[in-house]
Amino acid sequence: MTPFPRSPAGSGRAAARRSAAAAIALAAALLALPGTPAMAQPQTLTMWSHWPDEASKRSFIEERVKQFEAATPQCKVNLQFVQKADLYTSVKTSVRTGQAPDIFWLEPDEIAFAKSGYLEPLDKYIDLANLEDWAKRAWTWNGKVYAMPQEAYSVELYYNRDLMKKIGVTPPAGMQMTQAQFTEMVKRSVAAGITPTATGVGDRPYPGAYFLQEILLRKLGTEDYEKLLTGKLPFQDPRVIEAMTWVKQLVDAGMFPRSMATMKLGESHYYFHTNPGALMFPIASWYTGRAFVAPEKGGQPKDFALGLMKYPAMDGSKCPECKTLAVGGSYVMYARSKNKECAGKMLSSLATVENGNKWMESVLLQTGVRTDPSRITSIYAPYFKELQERGAGARYFIGTPLHYMSGKCGDTFAQVLNRAFPGGLVSVNDAAAQMDAACKAAG
Amino acid sequence: MSDPSSGAAAALRRTLASWLSAPEADSRRASLPTVMLFLAPALLVYAALTAYPVLRTFYNSFFNVADLASSEFVGWTHYAEVFKDKTFWAAVRNTAIWSVIGPVLDVVAGLLLALCLYAGVPFSRFLRVAWFTPVLLSYVVVGIMWVWIYNYDWGVVNGLLRAVGLQAWSQAWLGDPRFALGSLIVTHAWKWAGFNMVVCLAALHSLPSEVLEAAELDNCGWWHKLTDVIVPMLWPTLLNLYILAFIGKMKVFDLVWIMTEGGPVWSTETVSTYVYKRAFNWNTFDLGYPSAIAVVWFFVVVGFVVFFNVLFRRRERMEY
Repeated sequence: MTPFPRSPAGSGRAAARRSAAAAIALAAALLALPGTPAMAQPQTLTMWSHWPDEASKRSFIEERVKQFEAATPQCKVNLQFVQKADLYTSVKTSVRTGQAPDIFWLEPDEIAFAKSGYLEPLDKYIDLANLEDWAKRAWTWNGKVYAMPQEAYSVELYYNRDLMKKIGVTPPAGMQMTQAQFTEMVKRSVAAGITPTATGVGDRPYPGAYFLQEILLRKLGTEDYEKLLTGKLPFQDPRVIEAMTWVKQLVDAGMFPRSMATMKLGESHYYFHTNPGALMFPIASWYTGRAFVAPEKGGQPKDFALGLMKYPAMDGSKCPECKTLAVGGSYVMYARSKNKECAGKMLSSLATVENGNKWMESVLLQTGVRTDPSRITSIYAPYFKELQERGAGARYFIGTPLHYMSGKCGDTFAQVLNRAFPGGLVSVNDAAAQMDAACKAAG
Repeated sequence: MSDPSSGAAAALRRTLASWLSAPEADSRRASLPTVMLFLAPALLVYAALTAYPVLRTFYNSFFNVADLASSEFVGWTHYAEVFKDKTFWAAVRNTAIWSVIGPVLDVVAGLLLALCLYAGVPFSRFLRVAWFTPVLLSYVVVGIMWVWIYNYDWGVVNGLLRAVGLQAWSQAWLGDPRFALGSLIVTHAWKWAGFNMVVCLAALHSLPSEVLEAAELDNCGWWHKLTDVIVPMLWPTLLNLYILAFIGKMKVFDLVWIMTEGGPVWSTETVSTYVYKRAFNWNTFDLGYPSAIAVVWFFVVVGFVVFFNVLFRRRERMEY
């Protein structure tokens, strides 16, 4: 086989020219060979996730990454687990300079990343039909979806069945107390020397407000509650003041631990189930991420009598069946990623019904990915059954206050409603006035 | 061809030769290229890590900076906003309280510890190490440790109060706006007292023994010896320590962030924590506004440094 036809002239000079051309062509072909198919080049993604100390979530993600790497040999994933606060600080710095990881973890209260153009829309990378509609809405900006909503949660009221018996209280059949019943329970708990609720806000801007926000949601109903969170209804509205006044009475009765201001979220778990023990724990359903691990790793004791009840309905509540459902930890793609193809494939591999089921089964937590609950089996099935029962008939409000509030308004929420109000440091009127001033100023 | 010994080429050669050869006037002085060779690394590091960030912060303060590649010029808007910002003024007030009171506590504690060692208390060698150890600890360790110490339920402070029957005095030290800032100041003083102790001890050992002996011969009591002899002679050292601590506390960040994050209700917010919050914690990517706060505070700190410098020069002129 002759790669290049001979010249009819056959002169020495022409032969030399032909040789040179052949050499150049061969060199060009050799140079081109390794780069022919672009995706044949192995790509290494960097992926940052929260949950370094939440064993079940961490294992789930590590397993999915391993499976993805096995199924997609051209893509490698450099997976790192970082605490949420550090992760946020790092990505907020690095996105501006083009140094952010290809995939990172965010919650929908950080939709500003998408608004500022730092996130890649995922519409063309993942099958959006595999995501729950409400979860897509939480991450939609300008008609595009910007995250793979791995984690979702409802705001629950956990309690210790044994302590409940000890103070002589039996929850009602529907597991939802009235205002009077709840007040009585808190007083009995305090009288028995048991802290009514374990709450710590030392490292988080929201858990101190969980109880109040759920009461406000039930009192106002979803529409007015949304208006409240978006600054269209003032906190000085009489219904809001009424709800806050009742919560303040509970605060003054000793509902929250005195060490709440400095207790970290992880410590509040331990406070609830191990030492010193609290009657209730108002927290999102991601409680299980830390609690359902071995006690020596900070999990709840094996024989812990965990119960779930509904938040109480105030007298005159507009929507006693209302409940908060929100998207939590999600994975986003950096808009300036150089490995978008692999990053898209990685996110796509997470967004399947099969993985949704695996998440619910192993983490025992809701997800924004569609699931088929009939296939779910687990040793914690009784807990999951109870969680479903508490949600039966619920009318869901999507998103938590910090998903709606930002800037000065969000900061005031964190300082006042999350910390000072449940800490008994500010009056009802002062708290409401501060919220109105900040949220009105923030627009 | 032109004569190589004349014209511009020759002038250039002569200049280079003069640079490269040792100066004739003083053979001990290095030539400019040699000086530059040794200075360049330090200058580059200084320019990249100090000068450029400072200048960039000034520049950014006139823009809305969501992305370094695209910014919107807003002129003096951020500066006008800073002076109307209530949280900024709360942070200024807290920082001012900390900067004025904190150093007094640091210096007095350091002086007292140094006097104990100078007087030769038992186990002084051990105490010297023990009291200096907090200086070596990082703010993270100190912060976490003192959060535990102040804990309402199991903290040492409340434990001691309960043990001596003062249960009513037990507090959520970091959870109450009335006590939170004071609690942080105490923690900071605990960390730095050892450093001040070492400096005061060195100064005490350098005091002229004749003066102290003369005071003893005059039957001067220990209190008068301290207030009328020792402290006046240590005054320049104490003042230096105070000013160093003052400047440091104008920028205090680490301990506050670890222990309270500026809460509760902004009672421990400092200018530094507020800048950090605005830059990285709020759901906004604007670096312009926090840059404006940083610039304002930069000039405040520089103003105090200049003020203290002038004050010191006057004192020196008066003394000598």
